[in-house]
Amino acid sequence: MNNEMAAQDTKRSGINISPKEFLSNYGTLIGLFLVVLIISILKPRFLGLDNILNLLRQTSINGLLALGMTFVVLTGGIDLSVGSIVGASGMYAALVAQNHNLPWIVPALVGVAIGFILGSINGLVISVLKVPAFIATLGMLSVARGITYLASDARPVPGLSPGFLNIGGGSVGIVPIPVVILIGVLIICYILLYRSRFGRYIFATGGNETAAKVSGVKVRSVKWAAYMISGVMAGLAGVVLTSRVSSGLAQAGTGYETDVIAAVVIGGTSLAGGRGRLWGTVVGFLIIGVMNNGLDMMAVSSYWQLIIKGSIIVAAAMMDSLTESK
Amino acid sequence: MKNTKLLAFILSLVMLFSLTACASGTVAPDSLAAPSAAESTADDSNGDKLVLGMTLYSLKNEFTVRLANAATAKAKEMGAEIKIYDGNYDPSTQINQIETMISDGVDGIILNPQDIEALAVGVDKAAAAGIPVVGVNTRVKSDKLTSYVGSIDVYAGELEMQYIVDLIGETGNIVIIEGPMGQSAQIERRQGIQNILDKYPGITVLAEKTANWSRSEAMTIMENWLQAFDKIDAVIGENDEMALGARQAIEAKGLDIPAIGVDGITDALKAVESGSMVASIFQDGAGQGSKAVEVLIAAIKGEAVDAEYWIDFEPVTTDNVAEFMQKAQ
Repeated sequence: MNNEMAAQDTKRSGINISPKEFLSNYGTLIGLFLVVLIISILKPRFLGLDNILNLLRQTSINGLLALGMTFVVLTGGIDLSVGSIVGASGMYAALVAQNHNLPWIVPALVGVAIGFILGSINGLVISVLKVPAFIATLGMLSVARGITYLASDARPVPGLSPGFLNIGGGSVGIVPIPVVILIGVLIICYILLYRSRFGRYIFATGGNETAAKVSGVKVRSVKWAAYMISGVMAGLAGVVLTSRVSSGLAQAGTGYETDVIAAVVIGGTSLAGGRGRLWGTVVGFLIIGVMNNGLDMMAVSSYWQLIIKGSIIVAAAMMDSLTESK
Repeated sequence: MKNTKLLAFILSLVMLFSLTACASGTVAPDSLAAPSAAESTADDSNGDKLVLGMTLYSLKNEFTVRLANAATAKAKEMGAEIKIYDGNYDPSTQINQIETMISDGVDGIILNPQDIEALAVGVDKAAAAGIPVVGVNTRVKSDKLTSYVGSIDVYAGELEMQYIVDLIGETGNIVIIEGPMGQSAQIERRQGIQNILDKYPGITVLAEKTANWSRSEAMTIMENWLQAFDKIDAVIGENDEMALGARQAIEAKGLDIPAIGVDGITDALKAVESGSMVASIFQDGAGQGSKAVEVLIAAIKGEAVDAEYWIDFEPVTTDNVAEFMQKAQ
C-alpha cells in the first residue's frame, strides 16, 4: 500500500488523522489561504470581482499546462518542452486563423493537433527509445521553438479571425472563456486520473515501474500517453494564449515551464513519481497565479518577485519532504 | 517536532510577505494603508492624488530603466503616484498588467509595448474602461491611444546607416543585428537603414539577424559571422547593447571592424570615447519618460494633447561624447 492510498483510507475512516497526514494533505491549501489572506489585507482591491476574474483568466494558461504536467510527473517523468509546444501550437493556429473564412474551431483544432503530435514524439522518444525524459524534452524545447521561428520567419502573425480571438478574449456571462475551458479540462482530467483504469496505471507506473510492468501494466503505452496529454494541454494553452494576444508570436510561451513545474511541485506531486493529487496541482497554480497577480497589485518590483517565487518553490518542496519522511 | 518545523515554515512565509510589502521601493507609503475596502470603482481625480500605472516591455536593461526612473521622478514632481511594471519581454504578461492596473483603478496608463500588434488588445481594454493610455518609446497599432511620445526610429536607422556610409565609402559589406522581430523599433530602424541602403547599391548586406536587444546574443551571432565571412566592413546594431556585444566578439579575434548602435547608454558612450564604437545615436529615454508622464497627466485633467510628441535622436561621436556622458547621469 503506497502513501497515497494510506492517506485516502485514513480520510475515509474519519478517525484519527495525525497532524502529519493532515498537513501533508491540506498543507498547500492552507498555504493558498494564507497567501490570499495576506494579500487581501494589504490590498483589499485584490478580492474585487473583476480582479478575481482577471486572475483566473490570467492563470488559466499555466493551469492547463500544470494539469497536463501532473500526468507526466506522476509517471516519474518531466516535460521541459511545454513552453515551446505552446509557442509552436499557437503559431500554427494563428497561421490558420488568418483565414477569416474558417470557423474558429478549425484553427483551434490545428493548434491542439500540433500539441498532440509534438507530445507524441516526446512520448515515443522517452518510452520506446528510452531517452531520459529530461534530455528528450529539453531537445524538444529547442526543436519546437525552432519550428515556430521557421513557420513564421520570426515575424508576428496578426489579423486573426474574430471568432478565434473570442476564445481568449471572450466570456460566457461574466466567466472568461479560458476559465470555462480550464474547468472543463479539469473535469476531464479528474475522470481520467481517478475514475479510469488508465489513472490507476499512471500511479502504478510512477510508484514502482518494475512492479507495475510485472503486474501487466503496459508501462510503455502509459508513459507515452502521459506525454501526449501534456502535449495536447500545451496545444490548447497555445491556442488560448495566441487568441488572447491577438497574434501568433514566435517567442510565445518562452520560459513558461518554470511556473508549470512550480505549480505541480507546490501542489504536492512528487517529482519522483507515483505520489500526488490533481487538486494539489490546482492549488499549486492558484498559488502561483495569486502570487503573480497579488505581487503586481502591491507593485512589488519584478526583481523581488523572482526571488519570492523561487523561495516559495523550494519551501514547498521542503515542506513536502518534511511531511513525507518517516 | 515535525509540527514546529511546519509552523516555522508558515511563519517564514508570513515574514517573507511582510518583508516584501515593506521592501517594495516603488510603492509610496500611503498606498500601503490601502484605500477604503468598499471602494471598487475608479478613483475620482478631482482633488485626490492621481494614480498612474506604467508597463515597460522590460526593466532588465539600462535604457528602459532610465525611462522608468525619469517617469517616476516626473510623477513625483507633479504630485502623482506611479506604479511601474516589468513586462518581461512577454506581451501576454503586459496585457495581464494592464488588466491589473484597470482593476486597480488607475487614472492613466503609460505603455511601452513589447509587440506592435499584440498590445492593441491591452489598449482596447483600457479605452473600454475609460482610462487614457499614452504610448512611449515603442509603438502599438491602435487608434485608441491618447497620445504617443517617442523618437522617430526610422530616422535613427537612417542616421546610423548614413554615418557608416560616410565612414566606409559607397561600397562594402555590412552585417545588421536586429532588435526583437515585431517590435516597432526593430521594424522602423530597419526601414531607416533600408532607406539609405537603397541609395547606395554598392553596399552589400552579408547577413542580418535578431539578437533581441541582448549583448550576449549579439556576441554569439557576431562570432559566427566572423567565421562565415572573409571580409566584413561594418556592423550596424539596431541598439547599443548589441553593437557592444558584436565589438566584444570582434576584439576577441584581434580585429577592428567599425560598429554603431542606438540609445547612448553608458557603456556605449564609454566605447565611443575609447574608440571601440565609432558612434552611438543617442535616444533621450529620460526625456521620453518624463514627457509621457506630463502628457498623461494633462490628458487625465481633460486638457487637449497632441497625437504625437517627437523627441530628436542625436548622433554621439568622439566630438561631443563628453557632454553626453554628463547628461546620462
